[in-house]
Amino acid sequence: MPSQATITDTSSGAAASVPTAVLDTLASRWRCSGLFISLLDPAGAVVYHDSHASPFFLEYVLAQFRAELGKSLALGADRIGRAPVDRSIPGVLLDIHPLIEKRRMQGILVLAAVDAAIDRTEDLQRAAGRLRLDAQWLLAAARRLPPADDNSFAHRSRLLLDMLHDQIRLAAVQREIDSVSGELSGSYEELTLIYQLTASMHITRTPADFFRQACTEYNEFTGVRSTGVALTVGSLPGAAPAMFGPMSLPAPELHRLGSLLVDAFNYDQSPIIINDLAASPSYAFLGRHARQLLAVPLFRPQKHLGALFALDKIASDFDSHDVKLLISIANASAIYLENSILYEDVRGLVMGLLHSLTSAVDAKDPYTCGHSRRVALLSRRIAREAGLDEAQCERIYMGGLLHDVGKIGVPEHVLSKPGKLTAEEFDLIRRHPAIGARILKDVKQIQDVIPGVLYHHERYDGGGYPAGLAGENIPLIGRVICLADCLDAMTSTRTYRKAMPLEAALVEIDRGRGRQFDPALADALLRIGDGRLKSLLAAHHALGGGGTLLDSAGDSAPAIGETR
Amino acid sequence: MTLLSTDAAVASSARKILVVDDESHILHVVSLKLRNAGFTVVTGSDGQEGLDLAHSELPDLIITDFQMPQLSGLELCRRLRQEPATSHIRAIMLTARGYQLGPQDAEQSGIRRMLSKPFSPRHLLATVNEVLNEAA
Repeated sequence: MPSQATITDTSSGAAASVPTAVLDTLASRWRCSGLFISLLDPAGAVVYHDSHASPFFLEYVLAQFRAELGKSLALGADRIGRAPVDRSIPGVLLDIHPLIEKRRMQGILVLAAVDAAIDRTEDLQRAAGRLRLDAQWLLAAARRLPPADDNSFAHRSRLLLDMLHDQIRLAAVQREIDSVSGELSGSYEELTLIYQLTASMHITRTPADFFRQACTEYNEFTGVRSTGVALTVGSLPGAAPAMFGPMSLPAPELHRLGSLLVDAFNYDQSPIIINDLAASPSYAFLGRHARQLLAVPLFRPQKHLGALFALDKIASDFDSHDVKLLISIANASAIYLENSILYEDVRGLVMGLLHSLTSAVDAKDPYTCGHSRRVALLSRRIAREAGLDEAQCERIYMGGLLHDVGKIGVPEHVLSKPGKLTAEEFDLIRRHPAIGARILKDVKQIQDVIPGVLYHHERYDGGGYPAGLAGENIPLIGRVICLADCLDAMTSTRTYRKAMPLEAALVEIDRGRGRQFDPALADALLRIGDGRLKSLLAAHHALGGGGTLLDSAGDSAPAIGETR
Repeated sequence: MTLLSTDAAVASSARKILVVDDESHILHVVSLKLRNAGFTVVTGSDGQEGLDLAHSELPDLIITDFQMPQLSGLELCRRLRQEPATSHIRAIMLTARGYQLGPQDAEQSGIRRMLSKPFSPRHLLATVNEVLNEAA
């Protein structure tokens, strides 16, 4: 804020002001034409004067304002309409203008100039004497200033007055620009916030992640201590209410608040604003932890998804800007949430169908029960260890699940034949990658997964099938699934041999790196280590997968890579 | 708009910042934010004016728009970089969303940060303090 020459009206306590900067600007512009600017308050006390003015004004004129003259000018000021030139000070022309604001006199602008007839004023001597000033010195100072006659003085002071009003208006406009800029600045903040939120609405993002960002941004923006989310039961499975920010509620209170809000928004979607929780009948239980609450619904047409809430703004009560912004965030979040729910729904359906399909394939051979699921899990784990991004890891999981789908086209008696296979039988087995790829070829959403199905029996050294690709020519997804497939095959009992302990299988994997397996991927698998692999697969077995003997030592060690 | 912040506390020493943009609303928003934070602000409404002001005012930091008539923000910074009197002045560039500055351009022009429009004034202030606190 610019500093202000404040004029205080002592009778009412009201104050009006002309910015000091405005007076300074005028003073500097008019100084050279001999105008002295000063401002008195309604009682006649000097509240502003041109401090760079000639000593003539500062020592002589100003001194007389301070000695009683100010008061008498003030007494006369409100009776003066268009002020005639005043000659209260010998050798000086004064122009007195009351400043009226809201029908009250807020101050008196007094302009002064040296009277052209100063040499003929004997009174000057006396006045100087009273002030103990040297009259000769005073006259010399006055002569250095441009003198004024009544007409030119009136003309100049009218011009100055017009300028003063323009400057006051300009200052008001500047204040208005600042206020608009402040509002605009706030809109920029809102816009960026909403922009960032919408830009981060990837469907692959977890809702927890998304809401953490949304809530944290809101905290920073409005200065609340905590912002949280509560979802309706069943909108997103397993989603408990959550809060983000330096303040948190104990779990029971958080859950109670969540369900209260969700229930409330069932009937009425208007925002809830409570600025004194302790005194609120429904939310008094929060009174020990927080003072204020603002909550808005997460709503889509026909769908009530939950609530966003903010606690404790501290600095002030929640205002309409806070509400508007939280509603904007809630609207964006609701769109994201609805998409997330739909996505989860469709994903669940697709993965459910894929699991059913591959279980059906695995069921052709009792010994391969659960194999596809385990290969999927292992493949994804290896992919993660190798540093692939999460989206890629999920595709590789799907590839692992589907890798043996082509076995549906291989006769059961061949698949489950206990003894050694004939060349023709082995030929039938070797067709399953191509059959699988053919089965899946028309599903456009999984084109990137098909290479995993087609090439999971290729060897790094080029000795595999069906294409005999080598090294990096084998698609990455194929190389990953190959590793997972072999590991699970070795550690599972098959019709043609018993399971090998995991530790021994990992030794075999190590031995096969660079020959059968991509060495970098084999290293990734070995890095995971037997401990973590066991717990990964144990979780799967708990779900009823069978056929593996990860924890028991097998007594016969089958040859590596003898998977079918 | 209520913005709870301790703007005034962030910059105690009155450092001088030159803001150059041909969009006056940006100048207003940015200078209000910076002034409230205690900075001295000088504004220019095109690249040439920015260049002249940089010479006469020798600010501690320049915030400039990229796209401006006559002299682009990048060119402005490059020229200041080449002159001994102004080569130390750090710069923050405001750009349209999606525009990226090559590392070589940044090196040659003293540009320390880029912010894409619409930017958050709060974030801009934080960036200004960051850049001013960085070692030269």
